[in-house]
Amino acid sequence: MAQSVFSLKDVSYSYPGGIPALENLTLDFNQGERAAIIGANGTGKSTMLTLLDALIFANSGIVSAWGNQLTEKTMRDAGRQRDFRSRVGFVFQNPDVQLFCPTVREDIVFGPLQLGVDHAEIRRRLEALANRIRISHLLDRSPHQLSLGEKKKAAIASVLIMEPEVLLLDEPTAGLDPQTMRDIIDVIDQAHKNGKTVVMATHDLHIVEEIADVVHVFGGNKNVIRSGTAEEILADTEFLQQNNLVHIHVHRHLGVAHAHLHEHGHEHPHHRDISGFR
Amino acid sequence: MSGKTSGGFLERTIQGAVSLLQETVSVENVAARNGFLQHRDPRFKCLSAAALLIAVLMSRNLAELSVLYAAVLCMALLSAIGLFFFLKRTLLFVPVFSLFIVVPAIFSGVTPGEPLASFKVLLWNLTITRQGVDSAIVFFMRVLDSVSFAVLLVLTTRQHVLLKTLRVFRVPQLFVMTMGMTYRYIFLFLDIIQKMLIAIKSRVGFVASTRDGRKIVTANMAGLWLRSYRLHSQVYDAMVARGFSGEAFVLDEFHARVPDVVILLAALMALIGTLWLNLFFR
Repeated sequence: MAQSVFSLKDVSYSYPGGIPALENLTLDFNQGERAAIIGANGTGKSTMLTLLDALIFANSGIVSAWGNQLTEKTMRDAGRQRDFRSRVGFVFQNPDVQLFCPTVREDIVFGPLQLGVDHAEIRRRLEALANRIRISHLLDRSPHQLSLGEKKKAAIASVLIMEPEVLLLDEPTAGLDPQTMRDIIDVIDQAHKNGKTVVMATHDLHIVEEIADVVHVFGGNKNVIRSGTAEEILADTEFLQQNNLVHIHVHRHLGVAHAHLHEHGHEHPHHRDISGFR
Repeated sequence: MSGKTSGGFLERTIQGAVSLLQETVSVENVAARNGFLQHRDPRFKCLSAAALLIAVLMSRNLAELSVLYAAVLCMALLSAIGLFFFLKRTLLFVPVFSLFIVVPAIFSGVTPGEPLASFKVLLWNLTITRQGVDSAIVFFMRVLDSVSFAVLLVLTTRQHVLLKTLRVFRVPQLFVMTMGMTYRYIFLFLDIIQKMLIAIKSRVGFVASTRDGRKIVTANMAGLWLRSYRLHSQVYDAMVARGFSGEAFVLDEFHARVPDVVILLAALMALIGTLWLNLFFR
């Protein structure tokens, strides 16, 4: 049986002002798993990732990592904090949040430096990683001089250099051009092949089948409404539509406009009349 | 409707943000050139600049100040900085203003001495003295030299590297890091301001009065403050997520080479020579 990495039991979290973000969530993530978290905006995906990274703590319920409970008190222990940070890497949705140093190089080496990794080892990792992700030419540039895709790559590099066991990614492919999206998927895929557990929140359904073994769908009840394989969930277009995960797509075939649900990787039904989808 | 339009006000604010970005990019481009000073260790460059600045401040001799100025121009040329570009930056602003400040010193009322010329303005008889002119020229050259050394240092060193050299002067790492982060996020906010003002302009165009334009911008300043507040908390989370626990560690990337030591020794010799000439020789 696969070892549990993260476990959430009956977890609730509300933002200041009492705005609920998660309600009674129970979920497990296992070692070596590739999990995708999908759901409409405001369903609690990012909040869950932030809880898993022990940056916020549950109002009620239990969040555990490798069997140890994550609470404000337990994370105050410096040794525990350092051990946890070296095992879990979090790529934030907004790369401008993650890239806070004057140069990309400083940003990438920030994590291992804080974790006390040997300087020679940091330089070795940096060179290897920059070559692998093809960002060597960006290292001495300031983050404000980068495109969104370059920023995302640098942000992922800043986490991969820590060589964590678990990668938490909050919409790593949002707003990217197709080639950069491909590059990022390849980097994540390679990280998983190297044994990392990957938990990724995304709205890009067309990449889910490729990057996830298991998919958890978050709903308006701030909880998981369905879990399953990517194939099972993506095949249920009615379910996806009910949960704001697909939209109507109008295009032309042989000069005739028709509409279907915007989905990828499956044969879709064609309709001349789009009114039925409204 | 007011004769003045907010178009000008918004336009100027947007232009201000854009020109600051362009200016920074232009300076960064000079610092990235393949020149003599660009390859020098910034710690040695800073110490050399400090020694030369002290030498300039201690000097009361026009010939010495002229030699130092000639040296700074040679260094600029060796560092792939065009003479016109350098003079435009160093001559136009601060020294010209200092010239205005120093004008009263050339008259006998401030600096008594050997008269050079006398003339009458309204009820006052004014006399220009040789000592007054000499001290004014020395003051002007001191300002010119000081500004030139400082500008040369800034032009040949990338801004974030310059910040890091503060560590040489025992400035706490956390302070240096905070300054670096401030420098990084200024550009993010400049970009946000620019986009925000363009969005406002796209809606209000040139119709609203200057006063209305200012009101709109002021209201958006509050929004920007809230954004920066939110960002600061997220950035802190991003730091904690990568192991930050209150003390920042950095990778030491400075490498001193023989020319770095040579340039520092030359600066120290210039300082000692100036001190000797001005304190003991006269």
